[in-house]
Amino acid sequence: MSSTPLRFPGPNRFRSDKEKDQTPEAKDRVVQQTDQDASQSRLSAVETGYLVDPFARAFVEGPVQKKLPLINRGTYVRTTAIDQLVTRFLTSTSSRKQIISLGAGSDTRYLRLLTTHRAAAASLLYHEIDFSAVTSRKIRALTRGAPSSPSSPSSLVSELLLSPPTALTDDALASAHYYIHPLDLRTLHPGCALPAGVERGLPTLFISECCLIYLAPQEADAIVRWITTDFSGDVGVVLYEPIGGEDAFGQVMVQNLAARGIVLKTLKKYSSLERQRERLRVLGLVGGQEAADVDFLYECWVGERERGRIGGLEMLDEMEEWRLLARHYCVVWGWRGGFGGWEGAWPVQGGSRV
Amino acid sequence: MMSDLDYAISQLRACKPIPEPAVRELCYKARELLIEESNVQIVDAPVTICGDIHGQFHDLMELFRVGGDVPETNYLFMGDFVDRGFYSLESFLLLLCLKVRYPDRITLIRGNHESRQITTVYGFYDECLRKYGSANVWRHCCEVFDYLALGALVVGAGSSISDTDEIEVEVVGQFGEVISRMKRPEPSTTATAIGGPPGSGASGSAAGTKGVNNGAVLCVHGGLSPLVDSVDKIRLLDRKQEVPHEGAMCDLLWSDPDEIDGWGLSPRGAGFLFGADIVKHFNHINNLSLIARAHQLVMEGFKEMFDSSIVTVWSAPNYCYRCGNVAAILELGEERSGAGVPWSATDRTTVVRPGPGRRYRVFEAAPQDSRGMPAKKPVADYFL
Ligand SMILES: C[S@@+](CC[C@H](N)C(=O)[O-])C[C@H]1O[C@@H](n2cnc3c(N)ncnc32)[C@H](O)[C@@H]1O
Repeated sequence: MSSTPLRFPGPNRFRSDKEKDQTPEAKDRVVQQTDQDASQSRLSAVETGYLVDPFARAFVEGPVQKKLPLINRGTYVRTTAIDQLVTRFLTSTSSRKQIISLGAGSDTRYLRLLTTHRAAAASLLYHEIDFSAVTSRKIRALTRGAPSSPSSPSSLVSELLLSPPTALTDDALASAHYYIHPLDLRTLHPGCALPAGVERGLPTLFISECCLIYLAPQEADAIVRWITTDFSGDVGVVLYEPIGGEDAFGQVMVQNLAARGIVLKTLKKYSSLERQRERLRVLGLVGGQEAADVDFLYECWVGERERGRIGGLEMLDEMEEWRLLARHYCVVWGWRGGFGGWEGAWPVQGGSRV
Repeated sequence: MMSDLDYAISQLRACKPIPEPAVRELCYKARELLIEESNVQIVDAPVTICGDIHGQFHDLMELFRVGGDVPETNYLFMGDFVDRGFYSLESFLLLLCLKVRYPDRITLIRGNHESRQITTVYGFYDECLRKYGSANVWRHCCEVFDYLALGALVVGAGSSISDTDEIEVEVVGQFGEVISRMKRPEPSTTATAIGGPPGSGASGSAAGTKGVNNGAVLCVHGGLSPLVDSVDKIRLLDRKQEVPHEGAMCDLLWSDPDEIDGWGLSPRGAGFLFGADIVKHFNHINNLSLIARAHQLVMEGFKEMFDSSIVTVWSAPNYCYRCGNVAAILELGEERSGAGVPWSATDRTTVVRPGPGRRYRVFEAAPQDSRGMPAKKPVADYFL
């Protein structure tokens, strides 16, 4: 299809000047705002019955925006696929381990783990990294009195965490099990100072759920190199991000997001499942690399009965649109060492379909 | 003096909503007209067949620019006027005005989105609420939906779209430039392509059929139903109701052709999948040369399947401001007297009837901020 003379859109049709006029701070603010998109989508999927997440509401500012059924389905697939990888790592052994969530934003994964895998979480050290502007929003939500009982001073922090905070500021939290770091990821590279509490010897899983895509290729690569050089134990990486920026759908996506000032900086370089796997291999995740698009994940990772439940929640009016969208997002995972029982654990996909 | 109707048309052409009483009046008139139509309207060629519009008003204007205006061009819209786009209201009401004003020059049939249940999920209900502050207009429109025909039968379509040559399929770009052309093969020879085979990805996919045409073209939004083996059975349905969750009427609006044998379950949760054998058999026993349907996004705007026995036509370019697809409309010409290759005795035994001459006009989304009309786009959603 890439050779079609009718390919949409015409040159420069929606070219936006917004991006190049902006200061670095303004650009960062736009990236920080994507966190609200992610948490709105999460809440919509929860309220429609796709996901169970009692914490989703706490991190959304303003009213619930109801998302389209195909967005809800995509949010469901993304969340549950990463959950599977995380859970397998968490329950593979009972020894101590570490998860570092890059650009964690308002992600509720740790809080959910505390309710679904509380015993396993006792031997887990969980770090979240994001810009200060984002972590401060999160800290506010975590320390706010529970809305259900406004009279009691209880908050998510006091109710849920395994250990009380040893340090708690406007934008940072430290405790024996859980850290929130207000930190620009672009400061992470081989040889950099480790964020407080991070242990380089523990088996460590790194998660980037729609985060590294906003960094320049060399910045994103430096972070993965940091992972494979500065951490001495087994390491694993999970990425969730868009692919296929070169076809008509991808071009429109790039332009639509550019109109909001959002640039998917590594999309071009890591544009296919093959390139994503190669990326992880080259950067040192030599144990294995796998990738699958969201369409594949829905068909092959979600059980038949669960697919029946999901299909029954909301009617999808357009299957082609769903496939088109879902084939432009993927989960990529790679590891070094006998990491977390990942090898051969899931059906894997061959080549990209975009 | 301009009539109320002409005034409404001029308002709507400028993408401006019309007052609620005017909508009520229009819907009332439209119902009176539609109630007289049969479930399967007979339409004489020449006609231009269009697929899903989905409230993309500016692209509908582009369609009229590319395909010609009403009443000069005779149109058949195969449903899904509303939902998803930002201007479902203006798009549907304009088409309805044109229907009332020029009843013999435009045919509207029902799509699966012309339903109370679907419009509450996919945007039209919210749009009416936003634009009028109440659901009255939505209710008036839904009552019209219940009266829309379920299909149409195009008769008298010519075997060539050209006066001089036996051109079976022509693909034309939005400026009228010919992208590809395919001659109708002599009964014993194979297809000759001029200017690139129409089947190549860029211009949708089309393959020729043999002989002179005299079958009709059935137009329906989705496709066939296991409960319906003849066009006459469609005529017997009681259509004046909300689209049911199952049954023949539901299937006609929801089903999709697929590379399978026989019937299959639809991943959409309504309607069925049906294979080439089903289409060929249906066309054969109903004396059809082609089924034209909409309902599925096609990146190239149209897609012929099963030896050109069925075609999908999709008329919403860059669907949802996100998909990056082009759109198409299908023009069927008139049969010229004495024209055409005789249909040989051996051909008569084949199941596939020769298709009519088909011209696909392919077009892109309307330029932004065109024609001084409000062109507010909803923000297309992505996973961020
Ligand atoms: C789309 S959000 C995803 C949030 C979360 N991972 C989720 O999936 O719900 C992207 C997040 O990455 C963060 N991010 C992007 N670039 C960053 C950087 N250079 N340093 C720290 N955080 C960054 C943003 O602030 C934002 O919270």
